[in-house]
Amino acid sequence: MAFVAAAAGCVLRLRAAAAEGHWRRFRGVGLARGFLHPSATVEDAAQRRQVAHFTFQPDPEPREYGQTQKMNLFQSITSALDNSLAKDPTAVIFGEDVAFGGVFRCTVGLRDKYGKDRVFNTPLCEQGIVGFGIGIAVTGATAIAEIQFADYIFPAFDQIVNEAAKYRYRSGDLFNCGSLTIRSPWGCVGHGALYHSQSPEAFFAHCPGIKVVIPRSPFQAKGLLLSCIEDKNPCIFFEPKILYRAAAEQVPIEPYNIPLSQAEVIQEGSDVTLVAWGTQVHVIREVASMAKEKLGVSCEVIDLRTIIPWDVDTVCKSVIKTGRLLISHEAPLTGGFASEISSTVQEECFLNLEAPISRVCGYDTPFPHIFEPFYIPDKWKCYDALRKMINY
Amino acid sequence: MAVAIAAGRVWRPNRGLSQAAVLLLWRPGARGLARSHPHRQQQQFSSLDDKPQFPGASAEFIDKLEFIQPNVISGIPIYRVMDRQGQIINPSEDPHLPKEKVLKLYKSMTLLNTMDRILYESQRQGRISFYMTNYGEEGTHVGSAAALDNTDLVFGQYREAGVLMYRDYPLELFMAQCYGNISDLGKGRQMPVHYGCKERHFVTISSPLATQIPQAVGAAYAAKRANANRVVICYFGEGAASEGDAHAGFNFAATLECPIIFFCRNNGYAISTPTSEQYRGDGIAARGPGYGIMSIRVDGNDVFAVYNATKEARRRAVAENQPFLIEAMTYRIGHHSTSDDSSAYRSVDEVNYWDKQDHPISRLRHYLLSQGWWDEEQEKAWRKQSRKKVMEAFEQAERKPKPNPNLLFSDVYQEMPAQLRKQQESLARHLQTYGEHYPLEHFDK
Repeated sequence: MAFVAAAAGCVLRLRAAAAEGHWRRFRGVGLARGFLHPSATVEDAAQRRQVAHFTFQPDPEPREYGQTQKMNLFQSITSALDNSLAKDPTAVIFGEDVAFGGVFRCTVGLRDKYGKDRVFNTPLCEQGIVGFGIGIAVTGATAIAEIQFADYIFPAFDQIVNEAAKYRYRSGDLFNCGSLTIRSPWGCVGHGALYHSQSPEAFFAHCPGIKVVIPRSPFQAKGLLLSCIEDKNPCIFFEPKILYRAAAEQVPIEPYNIPLSQAEVIQEGSDVTLVAWGTQVHVIREVASMAKEKLGVSCEVIDLRTIIPWDVDTVCKSVIKTGRLLISHEAPLTGGFASEISSTVQEECFLNLEAPISRVCGYDTPFPHIFEPFYIPDKWKCYDALRKMINY
Repeated sequence: MAVAIAAGRVWRPNRGLSQAAVLLLWRPGARGLARSHPHRQQQQFSSLDDKPQFPGASAEFIDKLEFIQPNVISGIPIYRVMDRQGQIINPSEDPHLPKEKVLKLYKSMTLLNTMDRILYESQRQGRISFYMTNYGEEGTHVGSAAALDNTDLVFGQYREAGVLMYRDYPLELFMAQCYGNISDLGKGRQMPVHYGCKERHFVTISSPLATQIPQAVGAAYAAKRANANRVVICYFGEGAASEGDAHAGFNFAATLECPIIFFCRNNGYAISTPTSEQYRGDGIAARGPGYGIMSIRVDGNDVFAVYNATKEARRRAVAENQPFLIEAMTYRIGHHSTSDDSSAYRSVDEVNYWDKQDHPISRLRHYLLSQGWWDEEQEKAWRKQSRKKVMEAFEQAERKPKPNPNLLFSDVYQEMPAQLRKQQESLARHLQTYGEHYPLEHFDK
């Protein structure tokens, strides 16, 4: 704690000194110029914003789905939506600002291509967006709703949990809203703070009747989103916003499906199982390399992909083999989805465990702005937890 | 870093439009323009012109400071066709419904009333867990249902059983749902009166209030896209109209031009909360124009007024793809539910007034009598017959077993997830050992 405080204090003092020097140097030159011109007295990284906490690892080019094209995450989403609207004449896309292309450009070009009755803006009202989407789905048409940031999904919580999730069950399967998919940007982005960084999957994990899916990459995103749209249950698809531009790889142009509720073992190993989803998969991939290099430890890396219903078998099979489990997510520790995984795994694999299950997560605080580098479960925290597990 | 900059360009923490986004909006072909905003279509305007140029309103300037006074003393007038004695007031408003149809209206209302009495009693006797009556509001149900096509989709709140009754939903199925027995199409999952019927286009009721409102709007939008020539009707009470979902639904219906009828049953109370504590404006009808919605207030106890308003709203909603709001004024004669004793918050005299002086069933009966389509003998015979029908269905419903407990686990998803199947198996094993402590004898094997 003291170290952190001292380090923070050091950073702040440097920033203050730099700012003062900045002003002293440019006083009298004119506010605009002085304000915009980068100060030549500041060389250290503390003044500049952090580089990303992860390195996106593209998967090898997929061969089995035909011609591919280099796409980043938002382009792979656009491609999935394009395929959906082409195949399914009932499909419509709606939400705030989707008409001009969306604040993250996921719907660029779709309104021109498919018409204003199929790609349209709604008023600024999340409970309305989801309720409206449920109604479309009840008639059997395909509804693809966008919630502009996962941080703003909460006004729609009642419609999702009390209505969408329960539609089929409560009606005895007379009615359902299975053709509803809700997409929403999710997770940390470097500067999003409390209301542009949240990962709310744990709130929805507690709700039988919906599916929650989170991709790690453009290729995964397109296949998983298409599966969500075609799935006969209401689905929430969270898109790691930090990957929208940062992640780019070869993605098939034609539609293809990646199955839901199936975790993927993206790297086999024998000593520790690492589980994550979304952006964090790239963090733990790097941790796996670090473990190999510095500790000679072989890690099995699993991308969970679907949060609910989750693939218990794949995770348990892995832990039975390795005896050690580390789960990592950005969302706060208490009540985070790692708790569910941890609880189930200890029930199913108790005698196989060589060490307590480790969770490396965000702190139990709202997502901070300036303190993001300290908040997130970065590779060093994961590496340290892994090291302790190995030495248990 | 590139991500941060790019993201910064399109959004800011306060969610306002950035410069670049505004420029994107004005790019030709970037999006269509709503046709109902004439002022948007002017591409250039002169700054020398003294007329308002704001995109947000089409209005003139005024140089006098004046607040608009809401008018709640002399509110939106209440449309009616019959007086309280069932006599047509203005013959040109008489819908001239044929005898069979008026008799169907009457019989639906009275059969519902009979079923309500018997099922309310059955709850008092511990035979069903819960019930809600429709006393006093039968006119709102059948008047509107009669004005719709049978395939028009209905979203309700919980006090619209008369709509189902008018659509010939069998007594057996009303009872089955209340008893949660093996014949219940809802598979015993919900409390009584949470009816649903796919065949009769009546979406299953859910307890949370007003959630059906934006859903109904979505369904109407889909119907419009499908060129279905169908309207969606959405019922809700004046209390539910305070929910955020109601505001959301109205706004979406208007902006997205949906063929929907919003039908508000203003019955004076939301459980114990009178309208004076529910809203301070001129009821629900006055809100419609605020959203750009065609609105009307009707006498909900006048079946013909309800019929006429719904009929015309339906015709125009489908033809013009716009929403209509009907506020049907009525009175909740019964308690909110079997969990309520309304003598705690209103006088018996008040209730009696409505029961005796202004009841939809009496008013229509007077009309029938004056037409010579009904008489005392038929009334007696019908009362006996409807009671017999209800009692028969009731006795049958009582005797049937409940559904198999396996139905606790199905339909959560279309397919049963592996983990849920494990839980189902775990209950089955548990019952093998501890079954004697569970009411298994009432449930289907």
